[in-house]
Amino acid sequence: MNNEAIAYVGEHTWAGQLGHVLAILSLVGALLALVAYGTSTRRGDGSWTRLARGGFRLHSVAVLGIIAVLFIMLLNHWFEYDYVWKHSNRTMPLRYIFSCFWEGQEGSFLLWTFWHVVLGNVLIWKAREWEAPVMTVFALVQAFLATMLLGIYLGDVRIGSSPFLLIRQMPENIGLPWTALPNYLERIPQFADGRGLNPLLQNYWMTIHPPTLFLGFAATLVPFAYAIAGLWKGRLRDWMAPALPWTFFGVMVLGTGILMGGAWAYEALSFGGFWAWDPVENASLVPWLTLVGAGHLMLVNKRKETSLFSAFGLTLITFLLVLYSTFLTRSGVLGDTSVHSFTGEGMLPGLLVFMLTFVWLSVVSLLPDAGARKFFTGVALALLLIGILLELYVAAILVFLALAIGWTVGAYRRFPKPEQEEGLWTREFWMFIGSLVLLLSAAQVTFSTSVPVFNLLLEPFQAPLTKLGESTGSEWIKSLAGAKLAPPSDAIAHYNKWQVPFAFIVALLVAFTQYLRWKSTDMKRFWKQLALSLAIAVVITVIGVVLLGYQLAELDLIALFFATAFAAVANATWIWKGLKGSFDKAGSSVAHVGFALVLLGALVSTSRQDEVSRNSQGMDLRFLNEGFSNSTDILLYQGDTVRMGDHYVHYREKRAEGVNLYFEVDYFDVKPRQYRQGDTVRVRDILFTANDDHVASPEFLLDQPTHWTPLEDYPRRALWHARGWSSTQPGEQLFQLEPFVQLNPRFGNVAEPSTRHWVDRDLYTHIRYADLDTGDTSGFMPPRLYEKLLGDTIVTPTSVLVMDSLRTVRDSVTLAMLGPEYTVYMLRMRVRDLYDSQRWFEARPVVIYRDGQPVASKGFEVPDLRVRYDLASVERAEEGTRIGLNVYEREFLVMQAIVFPGINILWIGCVLLFLGTLMAVRQRLKRRNA
Amino acid sequence: MKRSHIIAIALIAVAIAALVSSLYDSSTYADLEEALANPGTEYHVVGTLDRSAEIVYEPSRNASLTEFTMVDLEGNTCRVKLAKAKPTDFERSERLVLIGEATSDGEFHARDMLMKCPSKYNEENRMVGA
Repeated sequence: MNNEAIAYVGEHTWAGQLGHVLAILSLVGALLALVAYGTSTRRGDGSWTRLARGGFRLHSVAVLGIIAVLFIMLLNHWFEYDYVWKHSNRTMPLRYIFSCFWEGQEGSFLLWTFWHVVLGNVLIWKAREWEAPVMTVFALVQAFLATMLLGIYLGDVRIGSSPFLLIRQMPENIGLPWTALPNYLERIPQFADGRGLNPLLQNYWMTIHPPTLFLGFAATLVPFAYAIAGLWKGRLRDWMAPALPWTFFGVMVLGTGILMGGAWAYEALSFGGFWAWDPVENASLVPWLTLVGAGHLMLVNKRKETSLFSAFGLTLITFLLVLYSTFLTRSGVLGDTSVHSFTGEGMLPGLLVFMLTFVWLSVVSLLPDAGARKFFTGVALALLLIGILLELYVAAILVFLALAIGWTVGAYRRFPKPEQEEGLWTREFWMFIGSLVLLLSAAQVTFSTSVPVFNLLLEPFQAPLTKLGESTGSEWIKSLAGAKLAPPSDAIAHYNKWQVPFAFIVALLVAFTQYLRWKSTDMKRFWKQLALSLAIAVVITVIGVVLLGYQLAELDLIALFFATAFAAVANATWIWKGLKGSFDKAGSSVAHVGFALVLLGALVSTSRQDEVSRNSQGMDLRFLNEGFSNSTDILLYQGDTVRMGDHYVHYREKRAEGVNLYFEVDYFDVKPRQYRQGDTVRVRDILFTANDDHVASPEFLLDQPTHWTPLEDYPRRALWHARGWSSTQPGEQLFQLEPFVQLNPRFGNVAEPSTRHWVDRDLYTHIRYADLDTGDTSGFMPPRLYEKLLGDTIVTPTSVLVMDSLRTVRDSVTLAMLGPEYTVYMLRMRVRDLYDSQRWFEARPVVIYRDGQPVASKGFEVPDLRVRYDLASVERAEEGTRIGLNVYEREFLVMQAIVFPGINILWIGCVLLFLGTLMAVRQRLKRRNA
Repeated sequence: MKRSHIIAIALIAVAIAALVSSLYDSSTYADLEEALANPGTEYHVVGTLDRSAEIVYEPSRNASLTEFTMVDLEGNTCRVKLAKAKPTDFERSERLVLIGEATSDGEFHARDMLMKCPSKYNEENRMVGA
């Protein structure tokens, strides 16, 4: 069936066609720029540069055009387009149109491309002599990104994925009957509105986080392109001066983007923290680490001629890691390991070729002579052919990567070495070491995030590994042979094991390296200058250890605490000691203080986070499994006031506002309990009565001899109803938090946290479970029906019921009031607290029948057990009397609450890191332009 | 030996240690059959929620315990005790990854669970029947 012959009604096909044409133009422009800039680089010919600029402009206009067309489609709600239908809807406020623009795979590629276009045009304007080689690299990247948006087929292989496909053109829909309906847009109700944006993403973070992060990714391309240009031109050191401001611009923007992601998770998502070592988070952190290292190595090489090879290495690897992280998060290889990666959708081969091409480019550029370059290129092409033709993909990639590493090590010879070794106590040496530690840190995170990739790489080696495992008897090698590795079960412990020591070293280096001098240092002067900071840091550490209660077993944390405090203090002092208060040059010191505070805040808030929402009711989970932590969730019955951490909490009521269902939770002060003479309390199975008015001590045993007398004779009922002794009681109300649930039938409900901020700590709460029926204001949860025979025992989640007898109420008053056509049944039950075999109550629910049908009932509430019993039905059957009983629990919610101490240190650190880097970039630009 | 050589060797040593550690600390994906055959060993098990079986979540008994039945990719089923509150929209989940161990009496005790909802990133186009 040829659908092209059908005249479809109501489609705006021109937009998609224009989009496709623009996508092709953007590729053509990028390719033209690539060839022309490449030629210009080789020949140094200005006329080629002019042609190349034309090409890049064409590319730029085409990219802006694609963006404009996509926006027009989104703003006009043309739901015949798959991207529009999947990511937007009619009720969406305008500001979310941006969010849904880059929510999808194609849109986020477009965002990335857009930033490259912006940066590329700035470079055309500013880069002067470096323009041709730098822009050659840019054009190559843009050509790859442009193909990612093509969505055309070469044979069976789809190249890229286009945002301009109509839904009826989607591969999964082609050939379906409805695609032959000319008026399908009117006939099929689903086309009336799009799916809209996931409620998780409907907040301002989604508007600002992705553009920032992608600008950060894009910024890493600039130093990469300069490094490649430097290699091509043989100007091994000159490229760093123009690349440096860009590098720290990248550090600033990418760092901000990453921290925004953390802030988003913390403020608006119920992940329970700001960093979870999720693969997608890791993938953005890793390039930042190496970019910071690269920037510092460039600084070293500018002053002293050392660290040249490592400066190249880290600069090149940063962009390669950006590509790798794109590959990880978009190709689908992460699969089940991440909650927020994209699914593959056939992007894997394209992304792989993209990434490996730049590995090849990096290695080839590092190689010293033309012969080696040609040889390596030839080998790479041969491996590509072998890989594709013999379907030995993994083997070909592994051989290629091994050769790439081998050749890179070989290329090391090309780089000039300083004649004598640098001194041990010099700034350049320790900056070099620090950068290498950052590289190691990045490598560790990369390895652990790459576990799913290792499975792919291990697969061809199953046979030899199995053999090796059998001969050595190693379970571990056998598990490798299975190629079914999963991420570490306790990811946080795994990462901390490595990253805490790395962070310790880096923080220590950040602390003292500024105090060292280039070339050689007078060590006496060094210690004199540093002594005060060291002393202050020791004092802060001692105070911190005491206040936060760090134990000796947590020596690694204490060490990190000290190192970060030292780094913050030493860098703050440096502004006066080293720079004599010159604020212009203080950028790096401010940034270092910020970095140290980010680490310190993260250390304190995560190592001392306290899940205060412990549950004291019901069953202990550790009976089930020792590995289970007992209850991180607190159960709050409406109306009850219970102790939680440093407060009493009280779930007042729920309130619907638009699509949000708010749960009002009051927080009260904790104050010592006042007892009056004659008050009765229960301690274990004994009742005590108060001798006098008194204020409770922390322990009952302290009070008992003077204030309490055990009762000897009392009815058992008194024991069941008596309250336990407690040293505290709720004081005045301090504040209210309103965690809420966003109700969304299409995407599922989303719980959003509510956080109380203090200077020294935060209390973060969110709903885990609640009755989401907005119409139900009865104060009870939905009932549960039990159907049993009279005389049976029912076990509910909180109580044990013994249905003793059923009485038909026939007294004259009832008969007179209702008339003879009604029958009234009353069930007599004994009710026991499920968790206290001594607490017995009685319940007598009533049901009224007329003509064999229940018409009314009167429930019976047992407030001590927070339940109400409703008699639903009474049926005489052969085997006995069948009773239907509805059990209502009082309305409750389940909440998680975590106290994060010192989290403000982290946020202050973020701001300082941002400002400091900004100051440093400005200073560097000023110096270059002066 | 020059200092740069020492640094290079230390660098490579730490990098290799980190690589081995990431492999060593990693858990293993398994199906239920394998997990049940090795009680007490921690696994990641991928599968789906058995919607025909009862999901039990009794907050008043324990707010952090959810019981349900899982079907793994091979079609094996097993009763699961998960030490977490029942996630919102659990019934709509498309894919589950349980992290935990089997017990000797044939249950699976999950410490943690990753859940993917169809809606999150790639809901199927529900127009097939239209």
